[in-house]
Amino acid sequence: MLRVEGLTIHTGPRLLVEDITLALTEGSITCLIGPSGCGKSSIIKWLSGVLPPELTATGTATLEGTPLAAPSPALAYQPQQDTLLPWLTVAENAALGLEIAGLSRRAARARVLPHFAPFGLAGHEGSFPDQLSGGMRQRAAFLRTMVQDSRFLLLDEPFSALDAVTRLRMQHWLCDRLAEQSRGVLMVTHDLYEATQMADRLLVMSTRPGRIVSDIPLTTPRSDRTEASLAETRALLKSLLLEDTP
Amino acid sequence: MPITRALPSLCLAAAFLAAWQLYCAWADVSPLILPAPSDVALGLWVNRATLAGHAAATLGVAAFGFSLSVSFAFITSVALHFIPWLRRGLFPLLVASQTVPIVALAPLMVLWFGFGLLPKVLLVILVTFFPVLVSLLAGYARLPQAYRDQLASMGAGRAQVFRRAALPVARPHFFNGLRISATYAIVATILAEYAGARQGLGIYILTAKNNFRADLVLAAVVLSATLTLLLLGLLHLIDRATGRRYRRAVDAAG
Repeated sequence: MLRVEGLTIHTGPRLLVEDITLALTEGSITCLIGPSGCGKSSIIKWLSGVLPPELTATGTATLEGTPLAAPSPALAYQPQQDTLLPWLTVAENAALGLEIAGLSRRAARARVLPHFAPFGLAGHEGSFPDQLSGGMRQRAAFLRTMVQDSRFLLLDEPFSALDAVTRLRMQHWLCDRLAEQSRGVLMVTHDLYEATQMADRLLVMSTRPGRIVSDIPLTTPRSDRTEASLAETRALLKSLLLEDTP
Repeated sequence: MPITRALPSLCLAAAFLAAWQLYCAWADVSPLILPAPSDVALGLWVNRATLAGHAAATLGVAAFGFSLSVSFAFITSVALHFIPWLRRGLFPLLVASQTVPIVALAPLMVLWFGFGLLPKVLLVILVTFFPVLVSLLAGYARLPQAYRDQLASMGAGRAQVFRRAALPVARPHFFNGLRISATYAIVATILAEYAGARQGLGIYILTAKNNFRADLVLAAVVLSATLTLLLLGLLHLIDRATGRRYRRAVDAAG
C-alpha cells in the first residue's frame, strides 16, 4: 500500500494543496478529480519527484510503511503529453525507462518487444512517433510506462490530448490492460465520465487550496457499469464540484 | 539540392557575370581596375598550381582551427550548462570577446606568435568559437520541461537527461551554429594570413594587390568562396548521413 500523509504544497506564500492524506492499494484505480488549478497534478508530480522548484512541499509518502524517496522505481509517472522522444523509434522510446533503470539496450529491447502486439502497436517497432496517430502515440507512452517494474502508475490526465472518440477507446483499452496486472493506479482527471467509468475509488478535491472533500468508492464492477447505474454518482460528483466553485 | 531549386540562383549569377563581362568590354575599363570575369578565369587557370598550393595551406589552417574551435566550444558548452555560476561569470566575457575587431587583432597575433600556425589557428578559434557555443547553449535550453520531468521520474540524473534528451534537442541548433562558423573560418584564416604568413590565400591576395593584379586578387577570392562552399557541403553531408532522425520536429511537449 502506498500512503501519502499530510501533504501540503505551497507556491510561494500561497497554499496550493492542503493536508492531503490518501492511500493507494495495488490492483485498484483511484481517480483524483477536481477543478483546474486545485493542485491535483502537483500531487502526482510530487510523488514522481518532479515537483517544479518554485513549489515547496511538506508531507510523507510511505510504501508498506517504508519512507519513499522520489523518484522511486516503485512508481511510474506519465504526464499529460505523451513525451515520446521524436528522435527515437517507438521501440527505443518504450525501452527508455528500462535502460535508465540500468538494463542494457539489448535486454531492454527484448523486454518491450513482446508487448507490441497486446498494445496494438505490432509492426510499428521501428516507426518514429510522428508517424503514429494520437491514440497509437498514447498507447506507446503507456507501453513505456507499463514495462517499468513499478507497483503503482501515476497518470496525469493521460487522455486529455486525445479527441473524444479516441479517448473513449483508450479508456476501455487501459482498463483491459490494467485488469491483466495487479498494479495500483492514481489518475488525475477533470472528466466526470472518465472518472466514473474507470475508477474503483474517487477522491474529489476542492478548489484552491486543494483538499480532499469526498471519498467515493465505486463498487459496481466496471463491466456492469451503465449510464443509468452511474447517473447517481455523477450527479453527486457534479454537485460536489459545482458547490465548491465560487 | 535538386537542380530546379538551384536554378534561380544559377541564372542570377550567370546574368550578373554576363553584365560584368559586357560592361568591361563596352566601357573599356582598364583590367588593372576591374578585370572582366574572363580575365579572372584566365588568371585562375594560368596560376592554378600556385593558387592550389596557397588554397591548400589556407584550407589546412581553417580546418584545423575550426575543428579545435568546435571541440572547445562543445566542452565549454557542457561546463557552462552544468555550472550556473561559471555561465554567469564567463558568458559576458565571451560576449565581450566578440566586440574585439579582428582586423586590429590579426597583426598583433602575428607580432606575438610569429608567422607560424599558432596565430592563425587562434584567430580562427576566436572567430568561430562563439557561434557554435551560443547555438549549443540555445539548443540545450530548448529541452522541453515535459521531457526533463519524464526522464527524471524514471530515475535519470542530470547527466542522463543531458545525454538522452538535451544533446539530441540541441543537435539541429548545433549544426546551424557550425554552418555560420564554417563560413567565417576561411575568411578568418585569410585575414590572419593577410597580416603575415608564408603560404596561404591571404598572403597571395596581398602580393597580387601590391603587384596591381586585380585579376589574381579576384581569382583568390573565387577560390576562397569555393573553399567555404566545400566546407558547408561537407557539413551538410555529415548532417544528412548521421542525423536523419534528429530532424524530426521536437513536438508534442511544449
